[in-house]
Amino acid sequence: MGAPAWLTGIFAALMLTVAVYCAGRLIAARRWRRPTEVDTDVGHVLMGVAMAGMLAASLRIMPAVIWEPVFGAGALWFGSQALRARRGALTSPWRCLHPAPHMVECAAMLYMFLILPTLSAKTSGAGMDGMSGSATASRFSFLALVLALFMFGYVVRVADRLTLPARALAFQPAGAANLASVLTAGSEPAGTPAPTGCGAASTARPGRPFLAPRCSALCKMAMGITMGYMLILML
Amino acid sequence: MSQSLAVGHAPPRPAAQQRLAGLEPRRALQLALGVLWLLDGMLQFQPFMFGRGFPQMLAGSAAGNPAAVARPITWSATLISHHEVLLNAVFAAVQLLLGLGIAWRPTVKLALGASVAWALSVWWLGEGLGGLLAGTANPVNGAPGAVILYALLAFLLWPADRDPSAPSVAARTAGRSVALGSWLVVWLGLAVLAILPASRAPQAISDTISDMASGEPAWLAWIDNHLASALAGHGLPASIVLAALLGAIALGILLPASASASAPASARRAVIVLAVAVAIVLWLAQGLGGMLTGSGTDPDSGPLLALLALAFWPLAAPAPPAVPAPPAGPAASAASAPPAAFPGSAVSPGEA
Repeated sequence: MGAPAWLTGIFAALMLTVAVYCAGRLIAARRWRRPTEVDTDVGHVLMGVAMAGMLAASLRIMPAVIWEPVFGAGALWFGSQALRARRGALTSPWRCLHPAPHMVECAAMLYMFLILPTLSAKTSGAGMDGMSGSATASRFSFLALVLALFMFGYVVRVADRLTLPARALAFQPAGAANLASVLTAGSEPAGTPAPTGCGAASTARPGRPFLAPRCSALCKMAMGITMGYMLILML
Repeated sequence: MSQSLAVGHAPPRPAAQQRLAGLEPRRALQLALGVLWLLDGMLQFQPFMFGRGFPQMLAGSAAGNPAAVARPITWSATLISHHEVLLNAVFAAVQLLLGLGIAWRPTVKLALGASVAWALSVWWLGEGLGGLLAGTANPVNGAPGAVILYALLAFLLWPADRDPSAPSVAARTAGRSVALGSWLVVWLGLAVLAILPASRAPQAISDTISDMASGEPAWLAWIDNHLASALAGHGLPASIVLAALLGAIALGILLPASASASAPASARRAVIVLAVAVAIVLWLAQGLGGMLTGSGTDPDSGPLLALLALAFWPLAAPAPPAVPAPPAGPAASAASAPPAAFPGSAVSPGEA
């Protein structure tokens, strides 16, 4: 027996909502010149669409062979950002400052796309709604458990910080004027999710608060919970 | 959102910085408990749980219990079997909300309180009181029941201080004597269970472990099968060793834990490390709670015992309360907005 279709449908709808909302964030950030984590939002758009397609076969718009390099590149991008952050490189409000969790998210997406065909081939259904993972179906089910635990840990950590004062969220560095030079330095590796808000960076004014940071956090939580659910289905 | 906080090179304001730098120990343990509730909720959403297998599993916990205990278990299992999809979805959602409620500061107390009520009802109706009255309880099969440990942890991690100068999170929350009593009840109780007939029969522990291996991934089944075959026919010595180990952990808490005297604190830490190690071994013997079989409802008692042990980790003496600096501008006034976010183990604003 696979996961109930209504349940995977709810999660798929949630993911589409997150994807649409994050796409809207990118547009709004550009229009209102409010900083947002462009790489995170782009990643959430892609993950939302991809996960909705995995959860409900009718929402699948691209085959796994296309998604795999996308999320591989995403993992590399966030990994490189994590290394930069670790070395204390110049940061930007337009990039995620804690990229490690997003690197793991991209890696988890890659994992699921690599494993899912194996599991789907052993069941009659297509996608997660027809999937019933079993311990013997995957030799890597423990990895799925570890990734799921990471996702839940990330969710509770983000939820824990939801009550930070709004003024703290609105803080903007004086060095925001350096954003243009940072973002036009061509440091982004090829093939990574495009930082579509780059144009906005050059026009961002110092002191602008982040765009709806709590909504962004809720998106991260929704993404983490759904990804955790999908990983649990693979146990 | 949290990722958006430390923007650029600007120094975060003190209160926010304190939150970003690290978690207060009790809050970290609360979050770990929240993760476990989230995990439970998601495990409850597994396809297996929406089928007949789940109520049958619940009904199985009635076996061997006194009629007064068994009858409500059978009744609830029957009820669930009639509405298995709806009720299972509700159960999963409740556990999901408990996890999120613990993670979100304004609802910590509500979620912890609700988790106690939920855990106690599940302990009875879902786990048959951990088999304590059925004579089947055994530390290796998860006795006294993982879910009762959730309730105990919710109590020991309650966000208020009864004894702020106590040497551990649990003792600060519940008071030294209550925390000590809780520790002794759990670990001495496990030691006693380890030498009861359900554990000391020649094949008892071996059979329990080999039963866990069925349906597990090959590597875990290999560990459990080898452990089971090593213990086959040696139930009595194995149970005595296990009981001695658990008893030593129980009594080890009586070692002084003053952070100022480094040697005793080290001895206490060694006991906690031993407790965590035993919990991990028990967890492996429990087949990670059957989570990798697609039909596990929780991670079993191993992680809960480890979390419980960490709640008794010796802490440094709480720092004296900081004198708030007079506001010197907008940034300073913003900094003072959340007063005393995490001084020692003080209650944070969201938890108060």
